[in-house]
Amino acid sequence: MLRAAGLVKSYRAPAGTPIRVLAGVDLTVKGGEIAVVTGPSGSGKSTLLNVLGLLEDGDGGEIWFEDTRVSALGRAAKSRARGRYVGFLFQSFLLLPSLTALENVLLAARYVHRSGPATRRRAIGLMQEVGVADRMDHFPAQLSGGEQQRVAFCRAVLNDPPLLLADEPTGNLDDANGAVILDALRGRARAGAAVVVVSHRPEAAVGASALYRLRGGVLESP
Amino acid sequence: MRSLRVLRGYLFTVLGIAIGVAGLVALGAMSERIVRFIEGGDRFVLGQISVAGRGMGMGTGFTAGGILPAATIRAISEVPGVQGVQAQIMLPLDPSTSQFMTVTQELVLGMDLSVPTPNRHYRTLPVRSGRFLRQGDHKVAVVGASFAASRGLSVGSHLMLEDEGYEVVGVLDRMLTAPDRFVMVSIDDARAQWVAKDRLLRTVLASGGMALTASDLNTGAAVGWRDGDDPDAVALRIKERVPGVNVQLPSELSRLLRSSTAFFSALLIGIGALAFVIGGLSLANTMAAAVFERIRDFGVKRALGATDLQLGREVLAESLAVTMVGGLGGIGLARALGWFIDRYLAQAQQLFHFSPRLLVGALAFSILLGAAAAIYATARVVSLSPAEAIRRGA
Ligand SMILES: Nc1ncnc2c1ncn2[C@@H]1O[C@H](COP(=O)(O)OP(=O)(O)OP(=O)(O)O)[C@@H](O)[C@H]1O
Ligand SMILES: [Mg+2]
Repeated sequence: MLRAAGLVKSYRAPAGTPIRVLAGVDLTVKGGEIAVVTGPSGSGKSTLLNVLGLLEDGDGGEIWFEDTRVSALGRAAKSRARGRYVGFLFQSFLLLPSLTALENVLLAARYVHRSGPATRRRAIGLMQEVGVADRMDHFPAQLSGGEQQRVAFCRAVLNDPPLLLADEPTGNLDDANGAVILDALRGRARAGAAVVVVSHRPEAAVGASALYRLRGGVLESP
Repeated sequence: MRSLRVLRGYLFTVLGIAIGVAGLVALGAMSERIVRFIEGGDRFVLGQISVAGRGMGMGTGFTAGGILPAATIRAISEVPGVQGVQAQIMLPLDPSTSQFMTVTQELVLGMDLSVPTPNRHYRTLPVRSGRFLRQGDHKVAVVGASFAASRGLSVGSHLMLEDEGYEVVGVLDRMLTAPDRFVMVSIDDARAQWVAKDRLLRTVLASGGMALTASDLNTGAAVGWRDGDDPDAVALRIKERVPGVNVQLPSELSRLLRSSTAFFSALLIGIGALAFVIGGLSLANTMAAAVFERIRDFGVKRALGATDLQLGREVLAESLAVTMVGGLGGIGLARALGWFIDRYLAQAQQLFHFSPRLLVGALAFSILLGAAAAIYATARVVSLSPAEAIRRGA
């Protein structure tokens, strides 16, 4: 499902000197697999996920979603590819504060033109599965961190994307809530999605198909 | 329901826009008011040839001063090109008021009702309630809107003029120009008032030295011209052929009026421009800030697959709703403010005129500017990568 080859990315430090964050990352994740990436803080894990999910352009290298070389697409096509292929989970949830939980979930359908009663039913069904359906009219500020991340999970999977990218999805959660989210991600993999998880938690590696360590801008198998 | 919540999310934006638009509309309404006043005066002076008596040395012009005797009025009506001469008396209600911009004074206007009003632009004055004066009226008055409001007069009310009681038989519509502050009576009533008011005139009449009769007591006349004649040429002809009169060429009077109000016009253009710049800047700034505040939301939406076009449309729809509600709210606010000031602070003078063109213009201006600011801000925001937008908004 996901294939990346030779990803390179540098940032410019305020002084102007380039900081090389990714120095040729190769990664392949098939449908049904979970790849777990660890690495010290500042090693470039978030950068890698952003580049893989087309949230940020790399300086070099190629990214393929299925048979499409998405790294070569134009702006609008990249947006559409994100909507069609990728579901994101972030450490800080990133729910829109002005929308209710249910509306946040349904937001994922808005930009891929899938809104409708069936989508709404599916959204509520997903929220039931992770136990936040009774909170669907609440605003994010009225939800606990664990509940917010469960809502964010429903949003990420509403369109049934073949690729899930999760950046420290349990970083702000307690163990119990973290386990719920990791379980749910494993469930998506079993259902056929390719999943990439960046995490420090040892539990994240449980059930992983592949374990990587990002060091010196490249992925190593420990 | 959802749109209501969107607006609640933009509450401060809506409020900010409402206040900006209110300022703009209130200043605009004051300037419209004065523009209407100047235009009304201009239409008036261009609609007739104004003739005043020359002579008694008590000042000249519109108001009490010279006398225009009956023989002179007859002579004027015989000048070729003249059609319709209406004898008039204009008496300042309060002679102590300064002569500055006499047209804003409260005046008693006595009209010879046996002659139709010669002014081409004001053949009749719009009556809001009751009726206008007619020939044979005695001790009755028709009052302008401001005059009526300032004294709480309506049809049937009584009014004292020079110690005589008058019944109000009509109240004019608000015209936003000079007649708003007029009291109109028959010329015979006005003559009686003039005599009562003017000691010098009483002395002259009592001495019999000038052989004046009542019909000679006119301060001026409104003179009409035949269709097809040039009013300035007719005015010049009157000047040449009839001695002892002050004749104003309509075009010259208009020029005079314009130059005496030029300062106000310039001031108003300045105020208007300032209102647009300040109101516009605050509106644009508020709108753009509302977008920049949502920078993280934009990043998230783009992560969910939103294209620039979709985001642009969304922002446009929201900015439209926000500026529409804010704009209408601002107009409401300005009108409430104007009403309050006119009602309680302006002594029945209308200071604001919320003309349709002003309201439509202000709303259109707000909506366009709001949309432009929102689109500009959106363009700035989407020029960042989604990852950068999310980082910056954190
Ligand atoms: N926009 C940016 N401009 C400059 N440098 C950046 C930028 N974003 C990230 N960096 C740098 O790139 C490096 C990798 O950052 P990244 O956020 O990917 O690390 P990470 O592995 O996710 O760390 P953490 O575990 O703390 O989340 C860091 O040294 C960081 O300072
Ligand atoms: Mg990180």
